[in-house]
Amino acid sequence: MSVFKQEPPQWALRLLRFYCKPRALEIIEGDAYELFYKRAATEGLKAARRKFSWDVFRFFRFRYIKGLEDFNSLNNIAMFKNYLKISIRSLLKQKFYSFINISGLALGLAACLLIVLYISHELSYDKYHKDIDRVYRVANGQSGNWTPARLGAQMKADFPEVEEVARINGPFSQTFKVGDKIFKEERGFSADSTFHKIFTMEFVEGRAEGALNKPNTIVLTQSLANKFFDYGQALGQIIYIDGEATMVTGVVADPPKNTHFYYNYVLSYPHDFWVTVGNWTGNAFFTYAKLTEQATPEQVHAKIPDFVREHVGPALIKYSGHATYDDFLAAGGKKSFTFIPMKDLHLHYPHLALGSSGSIDNVYIFSAVALFILLIACINFMNLSTARSAMRSKEVGMRKVLGSLRGQLVGQFMTESVLVCLLSSVLALLIASLGLDGFNQLANRDFEHAQLFEVATLAKLFALMIVVGLMAGSYPALVLSSFQPIKALKGEAQARGKGGVLLRKGLVAFQFAISIFLMVSTVVVFSQLQFLKKQDLGFDAEQVLVVKNVSRLGEKAQVMTQRLEQVPTVQSVSLSSQYPSEWISDWGYQTLEDNPRSYSFINMFATAGFLETMNIELLKGRNFNRQLVSDTSNILINEAAARWLGWEDPIGKKLSRGNGEDYTIIGVMKDFNFNSLKRGISPFVLRLMTDDGHAEGGWYAGNYLALKVSGNFQETVSSVEDIWKETIADEPFEYVFLDDSFNALYEEEERFGQLFTASSGLAIAIACLGLFALAAFTLQRRFKEIAVRKVLGASVKSLTLMVIRNFTFLVFIGAVIAIPTAYLVMKGWLADFAYQMNLNNPLIWLLPALFVAVIAWLTVGFQSVKTAMSNPVKALRSE
Amino acid sequence: MTRTNIGEFEEVVLLIVAILHENAYGVSVMEEIENQTGRKINISAVHSALDRLESKGFLKSEVGGATAERGGRRKRFFRITVAGQRTLDAIREQRNRLHDQIPNLGLKYVGI
Repeated sequence: MSVFKQEPPQWALRLLRFYCKPRALEIIEGDAYELFYKRAATEGLKAARRKFSWDVFRFFRFRYIKGLEDFNSLNNIAMFKNYLKISIRSLLKQKFYSFINISGLALGLAACLLIVLYISHELSYDKYHKDIDRVYRVANGQSGNWTPARLGAQMKADFPEVEEVARINGPFSQTFKVGDKIFKEERGFSADSTFHKIFTMEFVEGRAEGALNKPNTIVLTQSLANKFFDYGQALGQIIYIDGEATMVTGVVADPPKNTHFYYNYVLSYPHDFWVTVGNWTGNAFFTYAKLTEQATPEQVHAKIPDFVREHVGPALIKYSGHATYDDFLAAGGKKSFTFIPMKDLHLHYPHLALGSSGSIDNVYIFSAVALFILLIACINFMNLSTARSAMRSKEVGMRKVLGSLRGQLVGQFMTESVLVCLLSSVLALLIASLGLDGFNQLANRDFEHAQLFEVATLAKLFALMIVVGLMAGSYPALVLSSFQPIKALKGEAQARGKGGVLLRKGLVAFQFAISIFLMVSTVVVFSQLQFLKKQDLGFDAEQVLVVKNVSRLGEKAQVMTQRLEQVPTVQSVSLSSQYPSEWISDWGYQTLEDNPRSYSFINMFATAGFLETMNIELLKGRNFNRQLVSDTSNILINEAAARWLGWEDPIGKKLSRGNGEDYTIIGVMKDFNFNSLKRGISPFVLRLMTDDGHAEGGWYAGNYLALKVSGNFQETVSSVEDIWKETIADEPFEYVFLDDSFNALYEEEERFGQLFTASSGLAIAIACLGLFALAAFTLQRRFKEIAVRKVLGASVKSLTLMVIRNFTFLVFIGAVIAIPTAYLVMKGWLADFAYQMNLNNPLIWLLPALFVAVIAWLTVGFQSVKTAMSNPVKALRSE
Repeated sequence: MTRTNIGEFEEVVLLIVAILHENAYGVSVMEEIENQTGRKINISAVHSALDRLESKGFLKSEVGGATAERGGRRKRFFRITVAGQRTLDAIREQRNRLHDQIPNLGLKYVGI
């Protein structure tokens, strides 16, 4: 066989042809072939092929790699370079407009970038779990949080679709004793041993299998383990949690922040009756289930009615007092369970998510705000570009005469707008990183600066930039490129500018509309917040100090209470199971009538001093008496409960918990707000707790100590703390002032208001930048006209007013669009609140519009006065 | 002392092109270097050196006819220019001058 029939490796040849400059290719290829044939003859085909490939690799030098000029579209590249050059020149020629364009767009892009960061973060929640699509949260009824103990295990036994289940409880905050150090840690959960099969965990020490099998075992996150054991080994160590010895059976990597429940540690369950058996009517667990790959939640939902009838039914009727489960159903009773996809928990079911505080509404609102701001910035860009069109009409005409196609002109203007966007993106990154801390506060997240410069974020910014560049650039490009060359060269291109002027004005009006809308929303949100805070709560939240963790004191609580009463600045003390502003549980009570009615009353236990401490007014009947032990079977109700009961005189009537557990109403309290004012006051029952913190049946319920204090807060707090330290040494002292605790309920609204403040500020700033440039431009064009008017006798005042009038009209149009829209939107927002401010106050609507108008006047007025004052000769002497 | 803008390897390549006279192209230059000096070099290095020398004006090239030994692809023949010739001369002269100045004492001292 002739050597010339043999071939070198084709891939190497292809590679060479791919990268090599066409000019050098033939010679290089020839030499490589010649060597290949020679080597094939002397050294054998294999070696020759290998060396050929090696040669090809060695030819991969800068000198031989194709450059831009080697692509076929040589002309386009040259044109493109020219576009770039012209763009840069025209940007530099009009530095002022370029600056306004770029900085306005940069502000808009920065806001957008931050919001895109937020939205993609929100959408990424829980995505790190393997099989996230198969994991469901089992909700009690439609979306109830807590489920019975046996639910999970029974479902796994009954439904082949359910592959695995796990129950969790939490979040807890507990006190850890490691050696002689004491830590107070939050966000702990207890969980079944199957926890790791549902939630992805990465074990650093220990094994996932069996880590949570035994009682009194704990799995720590890496950061917690490092904190406890100072980077030493944690596995097998014994630590004391609330005094109980617990063994560390594993350490896992910290879960990512974007999860609907962030845990610091996971405890095993005790092998107690309430965990292993429990009952079907008590709901104490969060249940998660993983379905098999083929199963759908619908298949499981179809089986649930029979499941409930078989397992839950018998227990349910015993409690409800119906003869059969069918009777229960016939009486309108409902019982079911729903599988809710875990990936929806964070955004769509925030009350089911264990503290991740997501909200799909927030995602929508943030997106809308981003869009608004970007829109304003784009409008600036479009307005300034088209307004300047007259200046560039000669250039366009010249280019057309020299043979430029319309497509090429469009290309040129597009290049210019993308260039502007590119510059603004760079600036936007800078602004975004400056504004990140503020944004974190608004969004209640903790983004880091490094995240802004991640490839994914930069890619998003790049995409955003291209979209904005094309969006904002397309209109000016189309307008400018449509000029007829003769007219353009004669300077008549603006003849068709009438539509353009109208559009420009429309866009400016739209900018004002957005600004006014955001301003109005800001005002409404803040007035509503003020309104809520000024509301009479029905009791005195000021000067009430709540001490937490009192249940840790146990029997010492009574002693502590007595000692506190001795402190001169403490006026009264009361022990309670919960406190207003905190979540309070509801308990079912029935009336003892012929047709018993039942209702879930908000139910709280407190010692007799509660009414005095909170300064709650008693309308009828009497308060609890701490001397009367029999008062533990008496209750106080609020007005709302009295209204629900509907009795003429509720005093002396009874409510029942079933099984002969009856309570006599001895008094009616004035309505007071024990929760966020978003909600109205619901029927409320207060029951007596004995002074040692025990409720009916010996159950310990003294979780909080409420203290009415006077005088210097600091001194009082420190003397209370001293008593606490003397009573119980190794438990941290935690307290809150009740009015602060109430104000904290409106944190979400507070943030909402801040968001609107920030965005309306930004919107107005960007809009004014645009207005400023536009006004400057308009005045420049009307320079001669104004000069002529002045020569003919117009005063500075009338000239200024003439210019301002035009812009005022635009603000007016904007207000006409914005105010009704804002009214509808804000009415929708207020619908969530039980207590609403009066929206019909005209000041709310007119002040923001006036404010925007004043800013517009200032922006335009300064320049128009300057123009009107200038010497007309300057404008008229040329020509 | 004048500096010639030429590297050691380039000098070798330039010399070899001069030696090969009418038949200097990539492969022949490479083989000649191997034969004359025993240096193993890659063909790409030779190409690169030839290109550099051409852009410095020491060589000029023209494309020859197609031959079967390289699958019908043409060769690029290099010839030394007058400037190249002068550079070689200058280098040699400079070297000789330097060599001549080495005192005998020094030579004895290093054992030559």
